[in-house]
Amino acid sequence: MAPQDRLTLDRVTAPADDALLRVEGLSVSYGDNQVVTDVSFGLRRGGSLALIGESGSGKSTIARAVLRLLPEGTGRARGLVEFDGQDVLSLSERRFRSLRGRRIGFVPQDPSTSLNPVRTVGSQAREAAALLDEPGGHRELVLETFAQVGLDDPRRVYDSYPHQLSGGMLQRVLIGLTVLPRPALIVADEPTSALDVTIQKRILDLLSDLRRDLDISLLLITHDLAIAAERADTLVVLKDGVVQESGGTASVFSSPSSEYARKLHADVPALNPDRYRHLRERPAGGTGERPKIEVGGVTKSFTVDGRALVAVDDVSFTVEAGTTHALVGESGSGKTTTIRLLLGLEEPDRGTITVAGEEVTGRSHAELRSIRRHLQLVYQNPFTSLDPTWTVKRLVGESLDRFRVGTRRERADRVREALDSVGLGENLLSRKPGALSGGQRQRVALARSLVLRPDVIVLDEPTSALDVSVQAGIVEVLLSLQAELGLTYVFVSHDLALVRQLAHTVSVMHRGRIVESGAVATVFDDPRRPYTRALVDSIPVGAGTVSGGVS
Amino acid sequence: MNRDYARYALRRVLQAIVVILLAYVFTFVVISVLPGDPVTNTLRNPQNGFTEEEIARIVSYYGLDRPVYEQLWDSLSRLLVGDLGISLRSGLPVGRLIGDVLGSTLLLAGSALVVALVLAFAIGFGTRYLPKRYGQGLLRAFPSLFLSVPNFVIGLVLINVFAFQLGLFRVIDSEGGLATFFAAIALGIPVSAQVAEVLIANLDHEAGQEYASVARSRGLGQTGLFLRHLLKPSALPVVTVVALTVGELLGGAVITEQIFGRTGIGSLVERSVTTQDLPVLQAVVTLAAVIFVVVNLVADLAYPLLDPRVRLGGAKPRDKAEVAR
Repeated sequence: MAPQDRLTLDRVTAPADDALLRVEGLSVSYGDNQVVTDVSFGLRRGGSLALIGESGSGKSTIARAVLRLLPEGTGRARGLVEFDGQDVLSLSERRFRSLRGRRIGFVPQDPSTSLNPVRTVGSQAREAAALLDEPGGHRELVLETFAQVGLDDPRRVYDSYPHQLSGGMLQRVLIGLTVLPRPALIVADEPTSALDVTIQKRILDLLSDLRRDLDISLLLITHDLAIAAERADTLVVLKDGVVQESGGTASVFSSPSSEYARKLHADVPALNPDRYRHLRERPAGGTGERPKIEVGGVTKSFTVDGRALVAVDDVSFTVEAGTTHALVGESGSGKTTTIRLLLGLEEPDRGTITVAGEEVTGRSHAELRSIRRHLQLVYQNPFTSLDPTWTVKRLVGESLDRFRVGTRRERADRVREALDSVGLGENLLSRKPGALSGGQRQRVALARSLVLRPDVIVLDEPTSALDVSVQAGIVEVLLSLQAELGLTYVFVSHDLALVRQLAHTVSVMHRGRIVESGAVATVFDDPRRPYTRALVDSIPVGAGTVSGGVS
Repeated sequence: MNRDYARYALRRVLQAIVVILLAYVFTFVVISVLPGDPVTNTLRNPQNGFTEEEIARIVSYYGLDRPVYEQLWDSLSRLLVGDLGISLRSGLPVGRLIGDVLGSTLLLAGSALVVALVLAFAIGFGTRYLPKRYGQGLLRAFPSLFLSVPNFVIGLVLINVFAFQLGLFRVIDSEGGLATFFAAIALGIPVSAQVAEVLIANLDHEAGQEYASVARSRGLGQTGLFLRHLLKPSALPVVTVVALTVGELLGGAVITEQIFGRTGIGSLVERSVTTQDLPVLQAVVTLAAVIFVVVNLVADLAYPLLDPRVRLGGAKPRDKAEVAR
């Protein structure tokens, strides 16, 4: 990274007053629905504070209230938000505009939707540069900033449209635009949750570096306790719009006093790698039998823009019955193609795939149907994978109806049984997905795949759309089902901490190849390949700043 | 991109030509299977005063004594060299009849399109930035109102108020600038409704997007946000809508010309229908098809150039390399 003198030299010296942002008795409601109640916290100049909570905790709403970006007409904020001595909520729109960008910057959650898709990155970046009130030279300034945030080819980025850049690059752009006018405060709303793990770490490191170099305060909004503990010196834990606990990172993180903070701590996979050890114990005597799944030398390529792209390159792994095998890797590493091949949704160019002794490759449609009775899939996002117009009963019973299993009554019994096994009651049978929570939906999706009593379930990032505490519930269900029914799982995830918690063996994929595989403990504790080490190192564990501290 | 675009453009142009030819053939076939023989009837009408020789000449010119498929073939070959035939009513070449009135109709339709766009964008801007209490609800009702009032009613009201009461233009001499302007308003208002509907929906959608919030967080004001961020993505789909309203503009022009007493394609069509002047009708239908197809072709060809997200050839997005480290 080139040194950026102009951004570091002429800093305005901070006044003596220590509090930069003071929030007192803040309540926010959307219409009649109050989502934030009486929240207070303070952020000192140069400090960093994390608002932690799950979806619906009101953490993003607080950020938007501070930025005055609540939806017009419906969102109403009451209380005091004081930035640098000015009452933000009572300022006129015109007066507040002069603070936007110049004094308060915003780094949004999903970089792919946060830039105008039909304008070049450069033209939008010039808007941020124009805030400096310096005539001309905006292009140079933008290019300089792009270099500063670690973009390799600033000119190409400048001329690109957002859809031509990766998520990580876009987030660098957005962070660049935010720091360019040299604000005193950055509000970052889940700045990394839409990114791959290794990129997450780089982006958070970048934010920390810039913060230190440019003396910017940070209000970080996150659902990840470990990230918060690593990056902030004060934590505020929220639930249902109410502060549960707040204080220095060291005390809140290491010895939480509230019930909720303790539970949150326990549910973060990275902090509790061995939480499910008792459920994960391998069934004795599993060896000797033929592995449940054998994938041998599988290769699959696609043609993109006239060029051949090898999505999966000579991939082999085996999974013993009753165990969980994890496929980990970043987006584009070939995980998804591998499971599509495993499920018979794609034909491999080369190689063989055997499930429970039956060849998957080279099957006709009808033959695949019979294999699928033993091989089920749970999708990533329960919000889109369930037909919203169907009832739970119909959703879960669909495959029974398709395969004409038993009588009507038997089918109804099995639906109830499947729901029961994932911890859902009969009262949900006539509900539609819209009336269920995210966790309940994913349980329904799981029941849907269990109802045929398969031996193998492929889990494609089954919890990535869910909160940690909901995720913990699903993981528990998955593991107890495995212990009870001897199910074999193929678990696809980019969340290494979660893999560590629930898998027995793991294959690390990178650019279509398996770079390392073996028992989870071995691969994670003693990674041999640099790529695996980078992945493992990027798991936030929250320990960093507790001892180190940034001040 | 460029090779893909050339391939795409070529395919679209070929499709357009096929559509035009099919429209011509379809009209031809419909006319030729009509019961009775309007051509001969017209020619033999004593009032038209054709002599037997002339009748024979015209009949053989059109090849009416030969099988239908041969007639079609002849007619198509003449079309390709630009010969649209001869009017049965006036005996003049159809090409000249249309040429005489086409300019007036295109002027009317073009002005109406301008009126429609100005109205639609004014409404679009108003729905976002007029104070909620006063303008927004009312403005949002405008498109439905505009759509539900037939344009001849609007035309009659305009004539009554501006011509008869205020005397701004005269209905007798209807080709003047102001007369054209008011005719264009009558024709443009229903068209503006469709454009405005799409524009309002898009503006609402785009304003709710995350990038709009992020742009505001960078200190952009309402007008800056509208002009720099919301307008382009919202206006892109309007290109397609405008192309589709060409049919409306042409059809509406027929009625509007009648109300405002203008000569144009509308009056020509009206006369040709009442006198069963088939060659003229055939030519007008073909002309309408050509205009409609060409305008939509231009819109389709322009769209990929205007919207950077449109990728041709169904390829996956270009490799995105994470270059940072």
